Amino acid sequence: MSNYKRTASATRASTTNVFSSLKEAKIINSKPVLPAEILSLVLDHLSVSDLIHCALVSQRMREMVYDDTRWVRKLQAMGCWNEASARARAEEQRKKKMDILHEVTEDRPGSTLMAQNAPKSGHTPSIILSGPNSKSNSEHSTEELGNTSNSIDGFDQISLTPATPNPPSPAKVLDGDSALYVMEHARSIRGYARGEYARIYAALRPYYKDAVRSKHPSNAKIFRVYRDPIQQAQILNQLIRFTRSDFTQGSIQREKRMSFMISAFEDAVAKEFEQGLQIGDVDGRMRKYAHVLVTLNGGQRAIDRFLAESAVLKDGTQLGDPMDCFHPNNADVFFPEESHGFFGHLSAACNSELDVIGRVFPSSANVAIPLLIRVGDEIISPYLNQVIDHVRGRSTEAHIKAVAGIYEQALQFFRSLNVVPGWEAAQADTLDDILIATFSPHVKPYLQEEIESFKRRSEAEVTGWERQLSSQDASLESFYMAGINRQADKRDFLSSFRKVVMAPVNALPAFPFAVKAKPSETLEIKNQHDSRSASPNRSTSQTRTPSPLPEPPTTELAAKAAIMKSRLEGIKGLFSLEVALNLVSMAKTSIERMAVFASVKGDFDKDARDQCEAIFMMLLKTLGNRHIRLGFDQAVEHLSKYNPRAVTDRGDAPIVAPLVVFLELVNVGDLIQQMLDVFYEQELCAAKLIDKSDFLSPTVKAKRQFEQMLDERVAAGLNKGIEVLMAEVEYICATTQNVEDYNPGATGIAIGKLIDTTPTNTSIWVVEVVSAHTKMIQGTTDKNMLDVFNQEVGLRLFHALCKHLKRQRISVAGSIRLISDINLYFSFIETLKNKDLLQYFKALRELSQIYLVSPNDAKELAALIADNDRYLDIFRAEEVYEFAERRADWYQVKGRVEKAMYGYGCLVM
Amino acid sequence: MAEKTGTLKLQSSDKVETVVDREVAMRSVLIKNMFEDLGSDSDDFTNAIPLPNVNDSVLKKVIEWCTYHRNDPPSSADEDADSRKKSTDISEWDQKFMQVDQEMLFEIILAANYLDIKPLLDVGCKTVANMIKGKSPEEIRKTFNIQNDFTPEEEDQIRRENEWAEDR
Repeated sequence: MSNYKRTASATRASTTNVFSSLKEAKIINSKPVLPAEILSLVLDHLSVSDLIHCALVSQRMREMVYDDTRWVRKLQAMGCWNEASARARAEEQRKKKMDILHEVTEDRPGSTLMAQNAPKSGHTPSIILSGPNSKSNSEHSTEELGNTSNSIDGFDQISLTPATPNPPSPAKVLDGDSALYVMEHARSIRGYARGEYARIYAALRPYYKDAVRSKHPSNAKIFRVYRDPIQQAQILNQLIRFTRSDFTQGSIQREKRMSFMISAFEDAVAKEFEQGLQIGDVDGRMRKYAHVLVTLNGGQRAIDRFLAESAVLKDGTQLGDPMDCFHPNNADVFFPEESHGFFGHLSAACNSELDVIGRVFPSSANVAIPLLIRVGDEIISPYLNQVIDHVRGRSTEAHIKAVAGIYEQALQFFRSLNVVPGWEAAQADTLDDILIATFSPHVKPYLQEEIESFKRRSEAEVTGWERQLSSQDASLESFYMAGINRQADKRDFLSSFRKVVMAPVNALPAFPFAVKAKPSETLEIKNQHDSRSASPNRSTSQTRTPSPLPEPPTTELAAKAAIMKSRLEGIKGLFSLEVALNLVSMAKTSIERMAVFASVKGDFDKDARDQCEAIFMMLLKTLGNRHIRLGFDQAVEHLSKYNPRAVTDRGDAPIVAPLVVFLELVNVGDLIQQMLDVFYEQELCAAKLIDKSDFLSPTVKAKRQFEQMLDERVAAGLNKGIEVLMAEVEYICATTQNVEDYNPGATGIAIGKLIDTTPTNTSIWVVEVVSAHTKMIQGTTDKNMLDVFNQEVGLRLFHALCKHLKRQRISVAGSIRLISDINLYFSFIETLKNKDLLQYFKALRELSQIYLVSPNDAKELAALIADNDRYLDIFRAEEVYEFAERRADWYQVKGRVEKAMYGYGCLVM
Repeated sequence: MAEKTGTLKLQSSDKVETVVDREVAMRSVLIKNMFEDLGSDSDDFTNAIPLPNVNDSVLKKVIEWCTYHRNDPPSSADEDADSRKKSTDISEWDQKFMQVDQEMLFEIILAANYLDIKPLLDVGCKTVANMIKGKSPEEIRKTFNIQNDFTPEEEDQIRRENEWAEDR
């Protein structure tokens, strides 16, 4: 009914003279006839009966009165119109019509027009109400004729209406049930709004009229017709809604009257409810009158009263004194048992309250949620505030523990609450909201504090260790870990570490309420276990039987750590596994505490996650940069300073002390890295704190950086290590090789002795030294790096041996020993399983043959020297020649050999 | 925003010019919009604003109403929708103001509609509604000068359809 089409738009057209259009406009002779749009406005102010009179005036007026929107508006005002369902119905109708139309056009193409018109013309809604047929309508209207007073008071107007000549049949009035639920049965159908309104009007109008007219609320007819308070509430609820559809003048007063009546009724019922509440008659009066009040107007009054009297809210604060959580003298001590007890009591109290609510109120009434909100506001929040006010600034440790502890307890408390039927989803949401609202002022400072505290403590740990170290004499004593199966040890250690990581932090006593998370957690860990042991990159097929050790893993780990530590004595001056362990366990406690916050979706979710990541990164940084890197650097420095000649006290073991230290370091570094990996998997990935697949996440980056750093250090150290090792080898060769070894009788002492076929001491020594070191790093670092290392060691050994050989003088008799030496080297190289390297030593083996040839066979010797294939292209003829020069009898055979070689060669040419 | 002070001239359909306060004229949304669109300094306003649909006597009556209600708070759009639902009672002054012959009443309503003075239109409609209240269809026809174009059968059917609404 938008009937205010302005002509103002025309005035915008010309700015030169605005009024030109107005001036040009035709002057319409205005007859005193109102246009339809205004008439329609007038109709808005009319009562239903007047509207119907208007409908009887003319076709045009009838159309206006019957206009569906007019009635829809009335239904809407009563809350009986559902636009969505109306639209759905209309759609359906239209579809049906389209289908029919379709059929018709297919059958008879000629009659399309008719078919289209048919539904339109036939679409005149007509509702005929069954009921007492009053024949005296005309008579009725004539009687009313005299009553057209100009009175403005609508209420008076109504009371002025004379008593109806034919009172409604008693059957109609007493037809209680139809009136009781008439609004609920109203349907929303377009085009039939008037009919729906008619039904409601017919049912409620008599009561309405009576109610607004009655002088005293209790005299109203409804209270006589309906005896049951529930029914009374129901009809009153409908009447107040009906009042809202009364647009005519005076309706404001009528509504006031109606509300007055309802509030009188409500007062009476509330009084009954109150009495029930006082005597605790839960299933009797409380239940009955709560239902009445809810039916009447949602029952806010009963809910308010109920909450005001709620035992939980009244006594909740007495359930526990926040100060009990603290040691009276020591602010650092926080007793989680106390707050736990508080939440336990609160949980029991709330559950009994929720139980009462379930019994008293119908499920449509929202009682539990306001109750819980108030519990959060009035009980939990002050408790928490008091605790936190107490600890904040006084003790970081207690602060962290208190916030995390109480948060987890509150979470468990909320999870332990019974659910009021019908409000499951809402309750869960509300609980989360309450939790977040209650804790939100504390969480940010807490997370900050947590990370600060971790930072401080980890720094302190490392610095403390460093200080301790510098106070000690940093002299490096060498210990050889003879007979230790390193890999087995490490595996053993790691598995117990894993156990500890998986065990939940025992900061909190177990709750009596069932914590559902537990079983799934262990299950997850099991899976982790399986997938881990099955992972292919652990080439050393480890069959870890998940031994269910009854002893607490923490102590087990401690014991293992102690064993490890004693074995790793040699490197204690560089970095300590213990420190790493301490750091990791600190990080673990911190992260586990914060992980609780991440479990509830909402404000803290992301923050907590971020902080967990931050802690992990900080752990990596402290451990990596401050601790491990320093140790490695120091070890490398020691290595580079090593001079085999300077070491006088060699001891019995064939080792190079700083290199051993370094290799141990590599071992421990690898152990720590694996430890961190386990930690990362278990704490962050398994707990879903970090998305593992997110390769951009800073955590993953930091982790990779750490690993890279470790690898770099190891590589640098190994480089140095090889040099040191070779220096050692050369030193051994130079100092221990006896002249007699390869040239028996050179000194003329032991002529005629049996030819010794055992390898010389020097070679045994060298092989021992080298193999001891290469074995040591097996399985510690990357396989590729190990290969490179071995190859390098082998090559360097090869060159060192060549150099060494060239310094010797070898007789035919001594060559036997040389060959056995070379064989020893060869078999050692074989253990390294490196094919390329083996070639070199094969060549060396072949080379040693040249010393075996007797001086008489110069030709054969020459052939041997010139045979490149024999040496696998590793030695050229000139080089072999050089070696041949080392024969003890070289000067005797030289001439013949050269002749054979070059003569032979010339012949070929 | 349009200036509230000053005066302007309105010219009725019978070419009578009336000087009114701007504030009073602003009760008409039509005139107010004109101001806002053009700016209040526009030269156009030195001339009289022609209102070809309103004659002098009606215009005088409308100005009388506007002058009385010049300080009423302007009703906002949604408040408007609400107040249309529930009709408040007509104030005493408005009742007296509307005690005119029917022709004049209709003219005022039309002028209010044209000039877009919603409160006045409302009062007018309520007054008309009060005239209809309690009247029989025949009386309504007479009042509003409407021909009965129903057949007796049709009339009967409408009656039967709407029996529920009869005020008993």
